Amino acid sequence: MAPVIATEEVTKVYSGDGVPVHALRGIDLIIERGEFTALVGPSGSGKTTFLNIISGLDTPTDGKVWLNGKFLSRMSGNALSDFRRDNIGFVFQAYNLIPVLTVEENIEYIMLLQKVPKSERHERVLAILEEVGLSGMASRNPPQLSGGQQQRVAIARAMVSQPAIILADEPTANLDSKIGAELLDMMYQLNTQTGMTFIFSTHDPMVMSRARRLIMLKDGQIERDEVRSP
Amino acid sequence: MIKIAFRNIFRQKRRTVLTALAMIVGFTLSSVFIGWSDGAYSDIISMFTRNRIGHIQVHHTGYLDKPSLYDVIDSYESIGEKIAGVEGVEAWTPRIYSAGLGSVGDKTMGVQIIGVDVGREVRATRFDQKITSGAIFSETAAREAILGVGLARILKADVGGKIVLVTQGTDGAIANDLYTIIGIAESGDKATDRMACYLHIDDAQDLLVLDGRVHEIAVLVEVLDRVPSITAEIEARLNDVTLEVSPWQVVAKSFYRAMQADRQGDLIGRMIIMLIVAIGVLNTVLMSVLERTREYGVLKAMGTKPRQIFGVVVIEVAFIALGSIVIGALFGASLNHLLSIYGISLPQEFSYGGIVFQTMYAAVTVRSLVIPAVTVLVSAILVSLFPAIRAARIAPAAAMRAH
Repeated sequence: MAPVIATEEVTKVYSGDGVPVHALRGIDLIIERGEFTALVGPSGSGKTTFLNIISGLDTPTDGKVWLNGKFLSRMSGNALSDFRRDNIGFVFQAYNLIPVLTVEENIEYIMLLQKVPKSERHERVLAILEEVGLSGMASRNPPQLSGGQQQRVAIARAMVSQPAIILADEPTANLDSKIGAELLDMMYQLNTQTGMTFIFSTHDPMVMSRARRLIMLKDGQIERDEVRSP
Repeated sequence: MIKIAFRNIFRQKRRTVLTALAMIVGFTLSSVFIGWSDGAYSDIISMFTRNRIGHIQVHHTGYLDKPSLYDVIDSYESIGEKIAGVEGVEAWTPRIYSAGLGSVGDKTMGVQIIGVDVGREVRATRFDQKITSGAIFSETAAREAILGVGLARILKADVGGKIVLVTQGTDGAIANDLYTIIGIAESGDKATDRMACYLHIDDAQDLLVLDGRVHEIAVLVEVLDRVPSITAEIEARLNDVTLEVSPWQVVAKSFYRAMQADRQGDLIGRMIIMLIVAIGVLNTVLMSVLERTREYGVLKAMGTKPRQIFGVVVIEVAFIALGSIVIGALFGASLNHLLSIYGISLPQEFSYGGIVFQTMYAAVTVRSLVIPAVTVLVSAILVSLFPAIRAARIAPAAAMRAH
């Protein structure tokens, strides 16, 4: 099976205040379709930078990245936007829902960019809301929801267009452990049912314990890469 | 994108209100500025043309550039009838002009002899209202003269006195005659009033040996804005290469140019108002873009293209501008309407083109609404371009780290 993500000697150097900071130092990694992988490591180890680079949100200083078979470095800005829209779903630590849009409008946003017909959008939104346990909340605005509910909406938004990969940056960091566990169960179940690839960056031991692959980053390098049996 | 842009308007209500207020105040000021200027110029033009030159003039070709006693219009009555048949023409009146010397007692002065058809002149330029003392001409010629108020003062002439006019007739001979001064006229133009000696048209033709011919036909129209089309229509109806039909802008070139120059000054005033508005709008739009950096980063991460982010910022500003234009138009039109009724009395009267003004009135014109609307919309959109480009160029990874 073709890998969903492949990186070769990926390096990222920030030059803040003239002093170069090596965020990533030659990362070689292959992630297969359907993986449920956690990137772990202390703050500043390069987890978020790596997620940004494999999603095309940031460019590597050196090295190569392939996502879903496409070589990201050769893509223009607009092509990258389209590629992200069609292939990647994002779940953020701070949910990052658009506050002026309702739950339904937030979830259908990517489908709107994809020009999915209105009736189909509506059907898919209702279906995913049921899956994430938020039926009947389609017309609410994000500020009317709890943190856990907002993160469910964010997960629904990331998944509704059925992307190849879901990238989740510290998705449980702002939630209490009970809700975090519920959401993690939900994502695990979706991964099992749909075969979507999930990659988390996390500090959360609970996420680490559920991941089927654990990639430990330290000082911008892979310190350990551990595949666990389900 | 339109939905996001529209709803963003209501997120920071106070900021939106401040932005809109800047635009509304700018619109209203600009509208009153234009309405005031249009009202004032319309009054000036109306008085200048109605009192003196008329809206359109017909002459023998070349007369306007180089007036000559010999460049006359034949059969002016039939020409006048054709002119009267043009839709929108209110009145027409024939005139005769000649230079000469006028003597009252032992005082002599250069004068401009103006032959007028009393009935037509009254209908066209309200000549009777210019008589400050004495009377207007009789229906039939009776060797009567009306002097401009300045000329009467110089010659120390009064109603009931006699004036001797000496000039040259079209036959080449010296012409002179004695006239009874029956009235003193004040046109509002001091230069004219220092020279004008009005005669009955028949007397003037008799003195100058013009045999029923005239030098000028002045035409008054019902609506000032229709002068160009009526000029063209008269030209077409007369269809005579020996005749020249000129609108007031050509007849009074220097007056017209002075007014145009004044209007350029208005433009600078309007630009300053809009610049102040633009700076205020730029400030608030930049603030909102800065505040939403993270949100724009998220939208970009999800696949929104830079031009779509650009659109969100510009459309939001355009929505605020459109709302402000509607409110500004209500304020602007209301203020102009009030000023067109009550006007403003000037602390000191002023004279323009020889016409004295004491109260200035505004006007509700299409220009006073369209120009500020276009200016507010265009300047708001122009001002939003910089923050919009900034928002479109946001790097999503960096933006999502922002708080």
